[in-house]
Amino acid sequence: MGNRTIEIVVGLFMIAGLAAVLFLALQVSGLSPQSGGDRYTLYANFNDSGGLSPRGRVSMAGVTVGTIESVTLDKEAFQARVSLSIDADVDNIPADSAAVIRTSGLLGDQYIDISVGGDMESLQPGDTFYSTQSAMNLERLIGNFASGR
Amino acid sequence: MIDRIAALGRRGLDIIASLGRSGRFLAGVLAGIPRPVSGFPLLVQQLYSVGVLSLPIVLVSGLFIGMVLALQGYTILSDFGSEAAIGQMIALTLVRELGPVVTALLFAGRAGSALTAEIGLMKATEQLSSMEMMGVDPLRRVIAPRLWAGFIAMPVLAVIFTVVGIWGGMLVGVEWLGVFDGAYWGNMQSAVDFVDDVLNGVIKSVVFGFVCAWIAVYQGYDCVPTSAGISSATTKTVVYSSLAVLGLDFALTAVMFGDF
Amino acid sequence: MESSAYITLKDVVFSRSGRRIFDGVSLSIPKGRITAIMGPSGTGKTTLLRLIGGQLKPDSGQVNVAGHEVPRLKRKALYTLREKMGMLFQSGALFTDLSVYENVAFPLRVHTRLPEDMIRDIVLMKLEAVGLRGARDLMPAELSGGMTRRVALARSIALDPELVMYDEPFTGQDPIAMGVLVKLIRDLNSSMGLTSVMVSHDVKESLSICHYACIIADGKVIGEGTPEQLREHPSERVQQFLNGEPDGPVPFHYPAGSAASDFGVTGGRA
Repeated sequence: MGNRTIEIVVGLFMIAGLAAVLFLALQVSGLSPQSGGDRYTLYANFNDSGGLSPRGRVSMAGVTVGTIESVTLDKEAFQARVSLSIDADVDNIPADSAAVIRTSGLLGDQYIDISVGGDMESLQPGDTFYSTQSAMNLERLIGNFASGR
Repeated sequence: MIDRIAALGRRGLDIIASLGRSGRFLAGVLAGIPRPVSGFPLLVQQLYSVGVLSLPIVLVSGLFIGMVLALQGYTILSDFGSEAAIGQMIALTLVRELGPVVTALLFAGRAGSALTAEIGLMKATEQLSSMEMMGVDPLRRVIAPRLWAGFIAMPVLAVIFTVVGIWGGMLVGVEWLGVFDGAYWGNMQSAVDFVDDVLNGVIKSVVFGFVCAWIAVYQGYDCVPTSAGISSATTKTVVYSSLAVLGLDFALTAVMFGDF
Repeated sequence: MESSAYITLKDVVFSRSGRRIFDGVSLSIPKGRITAIMGPSGTGKTTLLRLIGGQLKPDSGQVNVAGHEVPRLKRKALYTLREKMGMLFQSGALFTDLSVYENVAFPLRVHTRLPEDMIRDIVLMKLEAVGLRGARDLMPAELSGGMTRRVALARSIALDPELVMYDEPFTGQDPIAMGVLVKLIRDLNSSMGLTSVMVSHDVKESLSICHYACIIADGKVIGEGTPEQLREHPSERVQQFLNGEPDGPVPFHYPAGSAASDFGVTGGRA
């Protein structure tokens, strides 16, 4: 094999590697070019934050509009304070919307879904959701069901 | 009885001495980084024999492993009605674990043993000595290009393995078993994070590549220069590389994906 | 008329794996002449070449080559010194993945920046000197043993060194190949003004071409001088070696217990 041929083949090899990385980036991990857009923060307090963790999904009408930034304990109110990072162009969430914790699938991850309200005013950066619905607790559900409630 | 303990102790000291030699060896190799211009053709040649020639086994293995993952995964997930999650299962398994690890094991077996045998043979036929006597540093001319080639080729091979595996999984999952194409890719995209999963997998394969190449090259350089010595060195390369890869994988996984 | 010494060893002590290979060896190798270093197998003659070349360091003593104290040289200086040395290994040690031409060109490509056509001229000249100009495109695997050594010889003189070392050049060669090598060693030495050091246990061939010889046994020099001086040497050990006598100071029988007890003969005449 001539030197030239070997160089070309090795070059192709490296290109194949790069292409594979690109494929992994775009097709496999869904890295989208504008994920570095502007965001603003909203807060929500829950009695039970369930399995929420940073990087979890925040969706509205089934569309992903942001991610969960942090989940901390509010020691005075004994609630979970979750901060959400919402895309800047989703700036018209009605002020009376609710943040609901949902589970995707039966055993899946938990995420926050914003249940849209009807207020004319929108939530501003730094606002807290007025109403929230905590994580569905499987044991409580079964208990309720078993005791006939 | 005392003799046996003494023999054990001697063995332990031998191993430590060998580790020390390999450390000094590594320092010597890294110090003799191939000169960027004149050393480049050597590097390219080695990338060819270490990387490109390992492609067939990587491609075939990747394909089959992806397909098996899909088959097994489908069987297990269908019990929960979660067949749609198969995409993310295959992708995460490959990207985080099987891609880097299996590729490293294949690499150690194919490329690593070839490197050891080649260098061992050069040592046994006094080619390395004659190079030294000609005023050429064999560490720089023979060893360093091979080390760097392994270091560079491994991540490339691992990434290709992962992609082929995911594609193979798609072949079985979507085409054969009927999982919805959109679900396969969609679930995968939401579950796999580029930085946390893909990049970590690449870092793993870089580390594995370095370790496997180092072991392969060192065993060849340090072997007893007879045919028995070379074959023993080749075996050692495969065994030590495999153990090192599996051990490092545990450590890296704990650090990267654990909750520390 | 004594030529000045190109290489001097003084009180060199070297051990390996607990065995004392050299126990205070002193010798000097004259410049411009062919010197043979002889001795029984396993006395460390190859080790001596490696000490001269700086591949090994002596435990104590001095190794002086062309005015440089070899064990003390730093790596760079050592590698520069090695450019003036050529070494012919016992097996030839050609690079198996390069052709004959490329093998001989190797030292030129590495150490010089000569243009390609000059390299070509030099390589072909060296190959011509060993009689293998026509074999330049063959691969080492296609060469016979004798041809391999000749190519290796061409490679070792590619940079026009001052010193050439031969490690057992005559071992395992057929008479014709032997004759060729003898001729080459002698002609090269005189035409290029080299200092040649030959390590061998082939007494007849070595003495026929060398100007000076040293016999090493048991880690010491047991005799040295010109071939004529050695033939008259009083030491029995030297004579046994030179004449190839099976029994003498080096005994025929490996140390063993009494023959009577091994063969179960008791009370017989021993």
